[in-house]
Amino acid sequence: MSAPNERIRTFCIIAHVDHGKSTLADRILQVTGAVEERKLREQTLDTMDIERERGITIKAVAVRLHYRAENGGDYVLNLIDTPGHVDFSYEVSRSLAACEGALLLVDAAQGVEAQTLANAYKAIDQDLEIIPVINKIDLPSADVESARRQIHDLVGLNAQEAILASAKEGIGTQTILEAIIRRIPPPKGDREAPLRALIFDAVYDSYRGVIVYVRIVDGRVTKGMKVLMMFNGLRYEVDEVGVFSPEITATDILEAGEVGYVICNIKTLRSTKVGDTITDALKPAAEPLPGYEEVQPVVFCGMYPAVANDYEELRNALEKLQLNDASFQYQADKSDALGLGFRLGFLGLLHMEIIQERLEREFDLTLVTTVPNVAYQIRLKSGERLTIENASKMPPSNLIEEVAEPYIEAEIICPTEYMSGVIELCKKKRGVHVRVDYIDSKRCLAIYQMPLAEIVLDFYDRLKSCTRGYGSLEYRLIGYRPGELVKLDILLNGEAVDALSSIVHRDRAEWVGRTLASKLRTLIPRQQYEIAIQAAIGNRILVRETIKALRKNVTAKCYGGDITRKRKLLEKQKEGKKRMKQIGAVEVPQEAFMALLRVNDGAER
Amino acid sequence: MMQSVGIYIHIPYCRTICPYCDFVRRGIPGEVPEVFIEALCREITAFEGPDRAESVFFGGGTPSLLAPSALRVVMEALRQRFQINSPEITLEANPDDVTPELADTWQDLGVNRMSLGVQSFDDDTLRYLGRRHDDAVARRACEVVRERFANWSMDLIFGAPPVESWVDTLETCRRFNPLHVSAYGLTYEDRTPFARRKDESVDDETYLRLFWQTEEVLSEFVHYEVSNLARPGYACRHNLIYWQNLEYAGFGPAAYSFLDGVRSRNLVNTDAYLRNPGAKAEALRLSDEEIRVETVIQHLRLRDGLFLEDYAQRFGRSVYADFSAETAELVERGLVEEHVGALRPTRRGFEMNNEIGLALVHPQRVSAAKR
Repeated sequence: MSAPNERIRTFCIIAHVDHGKSTLADRILQVTGAVEERKLREQTLDTMDIERERGITIKAVAVRLHYRAENGGDYVLNLIDTPGHVDFSYEVSRSLAACEGALLLVDAAQGVEAQTLANAYKAIDQDLEIIPVINKIDLPSADVESARRQIHDLVGLNAQEAILASAKEGIGTQTILEAIIRRIPPPKGDREAPLRALIFDAVYDSYRGVIVYVRIVDGRVTKGMKVLMMFNGLRYEVDEVGVFSPEITATDILEAGEVGYVICNIKTLRSTKVGDTITDALKPAAEPLPGYEEVQPVVFCGMYPAVANDYEELRNALEKLQLNDASFQYQADKSDALGLGFRLGFLGLLHMEIIQERLEREFDLTLVTTVPNVAYQIRLKSGERLTIENASKMPPSNLIEEVAEPYIEAEIICPTEYMSGVIELCKKKRGVHVRVDYIDSKRCLAIYQMPLAEIVLDFYDRLKSCTRGYGSLEYRLIGYRPGELVKLDILLNGEAVDALSSIVHRDRAEWVGRTLASKLRTLIPRQQYEIAIQAAIGNRILVRETIKALRKNVTAKCYGGDITRKRKLLEKQKEGKKRMKQIGAVEVPQEAFMALLRVNDGAER
Repeated sequence: MMQSVGIYIHIPYCRTICPYCDFVRRGIPGEVPEVFIEALCREITAFEGPDRAESVFFGGGTPSLLAPSALRVVMEALRQRFQINSPEITLEANPDDVTPELADTWQDLGVNRMSLGVQSFDDDTLRYLGRRHDDAVARRACEVVRERFANWSMDLIFGAPPVESWVDTLETCRRFNPLHVSAYGLTYEDRTPFARRKDESVDDETYLRLFWQTEEVLSEFVHYEVSNLARPGYACRHNLIYWQNLEYAGFGPAAYSFLDGVRSRNLVNTDAYLRNPGAKAEALRLSDEEIRVETVIQHLRLRDGLFLEDYAQRFGRSVYADFSAETAELVERGLVEEHVGALRPTRRGFEMNNEIGLALVHPQRVSAAKR
């Protein structure tokens, strides 16, 4: 029996990494009795190891809680956990769309960060009721008044109503729950209308297939019902519906206003699109729910098995991984330098790192990864248009009319004293100044538009280092803009190495080429023969570096005990060589393919 | 294989510690302690393994610190335990330990080959190396040894500043005319005081110039191993055992043995050794493949290289069957050449000897064998 709408509250928590979202979620689970204290694994909602280690949430989870309010009423609370990172902003927006309210969690010591801000704006856009919560008030460095001011000035909320809390100490949890009941509106929705359920997430389970997380907006869904995915047009029969409390629990029915899951024999996550609307196949709704987007990867890189024999294993691993993360794409690719491998597309840089790490960790693969890049839109003189995701696929420059690259708008928050460094950095990264605001006496907000390619390289690391870790960044894509972009080639012994090609701005090409070549000189070990490294644009050689031949490599003494020791040493060395790629006669270590990332280590000019 | 081994005796004591040396050794003011000799004899007596020996090598440390009585006791123990036929018995000596009397005694006790740790005839170089002796002492020691031993060897080090002293040292060496010379390039080993001075090492070009200067000056010698030269017929029999990867038994702390496919090492710490002589710090049974790899690598330190016939006889298979791709690569790279029934290193193969080993080892196959 479903609860009536007026007894349901659905909300999420918006917070910056480390501001205490998971701890607060745990507290709420505990106070509502959903999880016994002794069972409470630290941070219940983050289930993947990598998430726990990195302190971020990759997949959203929805939990149904029961709460008896001070007014004596029994309520059902749905807590929807939103992904915390910039790469998953579309998923965040769909999670928000499934809610009526949000807790805006701000660390009393750190204040509002860029990420919080971006997600708070998204919540405001969707008319969510926002309850500000100032967390970690128990910390000696807590500055509640400053946090209040920032909530007011930056987010534009009435900060006097902000709840003071310490999730760690259990302070304020009850007040938060009462505010959820009092302030967040109950779902509207018509239970008698044709079914409309918003898919806000989906996970793959090897026993159950795809588990689809839904918010029922109108109508109801029951086992055995024939349903239709309105955007991708696929039809299924519902095997099971239920809720997470927090264990997976089957129910008879999910009705408008409720949050839960649907299982209907979907084999792969690719058949499920976050943001799609599930409707009754026999009595479909007239309109799908608004806001659906086809998410496109924006960051690309090549991945090749370090050992050619592992190609099939890598393919299997990618297939398996895509079962539970449909947001990355891959396709077979062949590099002259690196052999058979794959070209992968990701939602962002962090997303890429997570996939890489999972491949190496869960599938025990040794990978050679190329420097990430973005997609370029090219207009040829012939009028033909194409999109390339790989610098080596760039047509010859004499055929090209225009190259456009994706731009983002970045919001950067950092302490005032680092702002000049941040502005300097943004300029260096071809940033276009939009504005700089003072948040308070201590912190600034800078808004810049810049090429995504620059962000993808090393912007975040640079930002962290020029703000001593205090800078936070949020960005959104704002479209493609033409630019003076050229393909920079790296030649080893006169042969262009496709995996080392990159697309750079013409003004910086020479400097990048120089730096890259000299970086490679330090990364490629001396070998039996001399190695020439050249950077070139088209036929024009910008710079030449030489790695002198290894003249000697000999151990003077080799007697009794040295024999086995030496063999083992050589074996270890050879093991290291396995991670190198043979390009022509040159052995190139894996780091060389990431050298572009380190080009900016040196001072520019 | 015939049950005959080479015997190595490690004397881990020195009067002073040379800053470049990475052998197991400790400083003592006086003679080698009696408890050590007792332990050594106990280890020799209790040895389980082959009964025949063709060589004995007293190394260290500083074997010339052995009192005549001590050396007598050890030789006695060896003769009790092993049948030693027409042996080569080598003793390493520091020039400043060498006196006519002592040299006479060594000869009386059966030592028939001396290895003199001259290192250099240049005082500045010797000082850089932290040696106790100077040029004059070295010359005197050479005289004493030359008068008594037909077969003697001189240890020399090149690459220590002033590096150009090397030619003079070689010329002097040539005038003393030993039958054997070991010429080592100075290596700044880790875990030695010299490790911190790596930046003082000569560049590769200089190293190789000095390296080849050796055989140019010592032109009557055969450059028979990367760091060793000898008059024809006087290669060190004991050390050849290592380079041919044959069997040897090591006695004394940290000494290695290779017997019956097992490479083992005695306890390294001298005190631990004294309490438990013959106990092993490590023992590793090598797979057939590992033995074959090591055998080829070791042989390719030798000028004459590896005779295909020897390999076939020893392992019952062809070296080309085992290492076809590797040998082809090495020949292609100009590091190894085929020469009348043998695979041998070229000049580049001497200069880049570790590259030969690197091409021959198989980390993958080894781990597969372990499974």
